[in-house]
This record gives sequence, structure tokens and C-alpha cells, in this order.
Amino acid sequence: MKKKYINHLPPIKQLNLTRRHFVKATSALAGAGILSSYGLPLYAASNVDEMIKMYEGANIDWQSQKGSSIVLSGLEHPWMSSIEPLLPHFKKLTGIDVQVQKQSESEYVAEVPVKLGAGNPTPDVYMVWSYGQAANAGWLESLDQHFDNPDLFDKNWYDLDDIFSSARSFPIWNDGESYVMSITAEAQTMFANQNMLDAVGEGVPTTFDELLSTGKKLKSGDVAGVAMRSKADGTAGSWPGGGFVFSNGGVIIQDGKCMLDSPEAIEAIHYYGTILKEAGPLGVGNYHWYECLNDYMQEVCAIGMDSSNFATDIENPEKSNAAGHTTYGAMVSGPGKQAKPNMWHWMAGINSKSQQKAAAFLFLTWANSKPTCLMSSALGLATTRTSAWESDGFKSAFGKQAATAALTNLQNADGKIMKDCWFHPQSGEILTPFGIAINEVVTGTKSAEKAMTEATAKINKAIGA
Amino acid sequence: MQGCFFMNQFRKERNKFIILMLMPATILLVGLTLFPFIVSLILSFTDYSLLRPGQTKFIFLNNYIELMKTDEFWIALRVTVVFTVLAVFIQVVLGVVFATLLHNENSNVSLLRTLYLLPLAITPIAATFTFRLMFNPSLGVLNYFMKLLGLEPQAWLASPNTAMISLIIVDTWQWTPFILLICLGGLASLPTEPFEAAKVDGASSWQIFTKITVPMLYPFIGLALLFRSIDAFKTFDIIYVLTSGGPGILTRTLNLYAFKHGIEYLSMGYAGSIAIVMLIITIVVAQIFLRKNKLLLPKDTLKR
Repeated sequence: MKKKYINHLPPIKQLNLTRRHFVKATSALAGAGILSSYGLPLYAASNVDEMIKMYEGANIDWQSQKGSSIVLSGLEHPWMSSIEPLLPHFKKLTGIDVQVQKQSESEYVAEVPVKLGAGNPTPDVYMVWSYGQAANAGWLESLDQHFDNPDLFDKNWYDLDDIFSSARSFPIWNDGESYVMSITAEAQTMFANQNMLDAVGEGVPTTFDELLSTGKKLKSGDVAGVAMRSKADGTAGSWPGGGFVFSNGGVIIQDGKCMLDSPEAIEAIHYYGTILKEAGPLGVGNYHWYECLNDYMQEVCAIGMDSSNFATDIENPEKSNAAGHTTYGAMVSGPGKQAKPNMWHWMAGINSKSQQKAAAFLFLTWANSKPTCLMSSALGLATTRTSAWESDGFKSAFGKQAATAALTNLQNADGKIMKDCWFHPQSGEILTPFGIAINEVVTGTKSAEKAMTEATAKINKAIGA
Repeated sequence: MQGCFFMNQFRKERNKFIILMLMPATILLVGLTLFPFIVSLILSFTDYSLLRPGQTKFIFLNNYIELMKTDEFWIALRVTVVFTVLAVFIQVVLGVVFATLLHNENSNVSLLRTLYLLPLAITPIAATFTFRLMFNPSLGVLNYFMKLLGLEPQAWLASPNTAMISLIIVDTWQWTPFILLICLGGLASLPTEPFEAAKVDGASSWQIFTKITVPMLYPFIGLALLFRSIDAFKTFDIIYVLTSGGPGILTRTLNLYAFKHGIEYLSMGYAGSIAIVMLIITIVVAQIFLRKNKLLLPKDTLKR
């Protein structure tokens, strides 16, 4: 039953929240004292009772797991930062205590698999860093049985139509079951310093060639033209580099085989390397996303192309010198090709060994519900709900133009070619050689053809293709 | 007869006491060293992967054979050896020189000694992150000074020419004080007569340093060299934070290679075999070094 409504949901264009619904939802929240006059959430304990009324419309027995305690594990991420202050509300609503375990990304990715692999019953709920690994290893509980439980889930109140179609299809594993819920939405988006573009009389680039020529014009002694990730790591260049491959007509994995030695992929990475070599900052070969973002916000770099979520930091004048004069744009594409930016939904799931599965599911439902997403989006969190993206609070924190560009890029993204690689059970053994190959091209150690051919051979050997 | 009985009683009591005193250390050693080692050794003969729970099988030496056939292993081994030899050599030279210069009893020297030992007291990961900021090509202080001096700014961690040098600089900053500390202790324990005799005979400072100080300090230098070599061979944090093994795989050491397979790819069996190979290399090299130099033998044995 559940699979049916997940698989046959309308595409994103049909999901826009109507003005009537949006006004109704925000008015209700404002009336309940959750939104301030600026549309920002008020987390004061005095608002808890009022806030709970937003969830009472659901035909869910919120108190069914009262007195239980769950462990939520995640990394230092905007989702965790925005959910944590709301936890007292969840406790008041459900009587469930949530203990938070938060770590840096590298610590998290190193520790949680070992815990789960050892059959530890905690964490009960965790942010899923690699769906392929976790689902394949049996570390995730199927959520379908819980979706079908009327005590735990009310599909009318939950309003699946409000969730982006990509975020709905993302969690469906190749066995047809859903093991996770998408909790954030981001797409590869260009951000360009408008003042610097004006100074050289250039517009926002739309193709690889334009990005190269504009980047070269923008580059000076103190300012780099373009900065993108290229550290020798599976989590660095592979994501934006993957977007380049997709936007040049290539793929990374097709029918279980690595295709990075195709002419399209080689040409895309050649462009990626050339752009960074000729218009990138000194030492770009050691840049991860934080160096790219930092350089852009300090105005020592004119153009970046990374996660749409960067907009929250870029538009924060306390952190960024580029606030207020950044133009967000669509992903660039190869000659005569259609732009297919890379995209990502962070996901959260339930540990298959958890002793508190019902409580954990209630938490996931609450965290991904419309009222909770509306509150977290007012802090700039890019949730998976259309209603949240349309809210004034989100537009104010994220930036209206940034939100429009991110939505366009999300719509242009091809989730399937992305999932074929990033959801592969051996994604680590695919992305690390790919990331290292990108680094070799950017640092001039190898040509694109040699690096990609060698990486392809390595990947195919590792995944048995 | 009665005396013999009391002697036996005394021996029994003494043995009990010895066993009791050794117990905590033995339990710790077995629990924290021996047990993990045995588990790693067993894992290295299996294809254990966290991605395939319940499907583990013994594959005997296959992991080791695969490892020996992989180019990446040999590249990582070469990188590890180059890093260890260069870093430890520089640290020993600097450590011995600084220790000799600081082996002078006055109040200023004592302050300098404290300053030189500070890097040892700083949390390694905090120091490494600070170095990462300093190495930043556009915002870092190193390139700022390079520009002030009229020199070309460098891509310290991203260039194939400077990445390894940068890592050695950080390791040297952190660990030279360790050599310095051991050598200072060694110098303090040396007899003063040979130095006084050399001075009376008119030997220069350089002659005293090369002909008397270094030979007499050799057992201490040897041990410091051994400790540092074993430690440098296993270096992980500095490389992981600063370069992640890049550019390409030019600074990827064996430890990083094992981490990739164990933690990122979750292939615990294969990662175990890398760890065991590292252990074997360490033990063999250390034993050869100790036997060749007879560092742990009593002085009387050396004379024979």
C-alpha cells in the first residue's frame, strides 16, 4: 500500500504549496507563538504547550512510547543544529527522551560503522552517511511497516505531497523498501560575486568554456577566479566533479560498471582540472568544501560551485564579506550538453538492532513533519518540504534568489545517475579513486585521460565489474 | 632443617608478591595489546567485511598475496620509509645539537629548555590544525611572510614538490623536543672527566662534540632514534589532517592505506593484513637495529 503512494507521487512541479495552504500553516504557527513577527521560531519553553497544538491534528498516538529514551547520532551539520533546540518540544509532545551524540564528520564516519557492525543497539536513530553501505550491511530498519502502522503514522497529516519528489524517491532501496527518510535537500549551485563580475564586465557563466574564460579574467594576484573542491579524498572533488561528468553527458557507474574512462567523463574532468589550474587559487589541490566556502566568503575567490546550502553562510553578514552581492546560478554544462548538477539528500534511519524502534519512528515522523520543517527552515535549513522552502522565514535566512537557484538545480538533477554511484554498497571504493584522480589532474600530476583510465581500472577491479 | 623451611616459605611469599605486583600490568598488556593483536592476526586471514555480516570465511594468505601484488601497497611503503627516514634524521640531528647547546647550567638556559619542550606538551591534533591554517596558501601566515620577503608564495600542502616537506616540518617541530629531552638526560648522566681532560689537552669545541659528546651519548641517541622511528612509521594524524595522502597518493603512508581499507571501505580483513605487515616490518627493523648496536646489553657484555 505504502509503496504504491511513494512510487506514484506527482513530480516536484506539481508539489508547490498553494498560497492558501502556506498562509494557513504560517498563520497557525504564528498564532501558536512559534513564529516571531520576523517569521523566526521562538524556542522559549513557554511556547511548548502552544506548539504542541500543531501536532494534535495528526491521527497519531504521540504518547504511545511515553517514558522511553532514544539515542540520536549525527554529525556537526545544520540539520542537527536546527533539530536540537526543538527536542524539548518533542519530549513534551511524546514523553520520549532524546539523547544526542554529535561528532565531526570524519569522527562520525569512522566510528558509527564500527558500532553498527558490532550489532550495538544504539544509536536508535542516525544520520546515514552512506545509504549503500548501511542498507547492504543490514544496519537499517525498513520503515515501510511503520508507515503502515496507524498508531505511528498519519499519511494525510504528514502530507507526502509536500515533500520534493526526489526526496521521496531517494530512500527507496533496490528491493523496493524504504529504510531512511530524506531530511535535507541540496544541489550543486553556482555562487558568483556580482561586484567582481561587474568589474570585469562579465555575466554569470553557463558553460564550461564560459566558466574558464570568466574565471581567468577574474583571477588576479589576490583573488582567484574559481574555487572548487579537489583534495585527494573520496568526499572532496568527487561530488562537484561528478556534476561536471553528468553535465557533459557522462556517468560514473552504469550497469554496475565504472564509466569514468568514457570520452565524456575524461573531457569533463579535463575541463575541471583546467579551470582550477588556470583560474583557481594557489594550492587548490588541498581544498575541501570549507576552504572553498571560506575563500568565497572572504572575497579571495570570485566564483564557487558547491552545495546550495552554502547560501545560509554566504548571506550571513557576520560571517561573509560577500553577503548581499552574490548571484546564485544554474550548473554549467559541457559543449552542447544539458546541465545535470549533482544533488544530495541527507537521510536519517533507524538502527535495525534498536530496542526502541517505535519511539525512533515517532521521532523521525516528528522531525520531518510540516511544522518541524517550517521551524527548522526559518534557521536556514534546506529541508525537503516545499512549504518550508516557500516560507518567509526560509527565504529570509537562505536568500530568495539562492532558494530559486537551488530549486532549479534540484529539478535539473538526475537522481538516478547520482544514486547509481553514491548508493553503491562499495561507494567508498568508487569515490576515493575518483577523488584522487581529480586531485591528480588538478595538481598536474597526471593528464585527465591517464588519471581517469587508471581510476576506472582500479574501481572496476574493486567492485568486481 | 628449620632454616630451609623458612627459606621455602620466604620464596613462596616472594613469588606471590612478584605475581601480585605483575598482575595489573599483565592484565593490561593482555587486554590492550595481546588480545587486539591476536584478533587482528586472525582477521588478516579472513575476508571479514562489515558490509557482509555473517559471510566471513577464512582465506588463509590471500590478503597478504593480494597486498604484495598491489602497486598502491609498495607506493605507500616507499612513502612511509621516506617520511620516517627523513623526519627522524632531521629530528635526531637537531635534537642532539640543541641538547648540546642547552647543556649549560644557568638560568637563561633553563627557560630556553622549557620553551623548546613546549611542542611536546601541545595536543597534536590542535597543533596540526594550527599548521593547516598557517599553510593555507591564500590566508596563511607562511605565504604572508614569503611575500614580505619577496619570495613566491607556495602551495605547501597541494604541490607534489612541497607536500612531503611540509609534513616533515610539522613532524620535526613536534618531535624534535622528544630527542632533545632524552639527549639532555643522557648528557646530564655523562662523567665530566673526559670533557675536562679534552679541554686541558686543547681540544676545540667541535672536536669535543664529535669525538667525545656524540660517542658517549650514542646509547641515548640510539634509543631515541628507535623510539622515534617506530612512532614516525605509524604517523597518522598529521598526514590525515594536512594532506589526506595527497597530492594523488604521494603522501599516503601505510597507516593511511590501512585506515582507508578498514574504516572507509570497511574491509577489516584486508586492513588487518596491512597492520600485521607494518608490525612485522617494525619488529624486524627494531631487532636488527638493537642487535647490531647492542644497545640493550649490559656494559660488561659489550666489553667481552
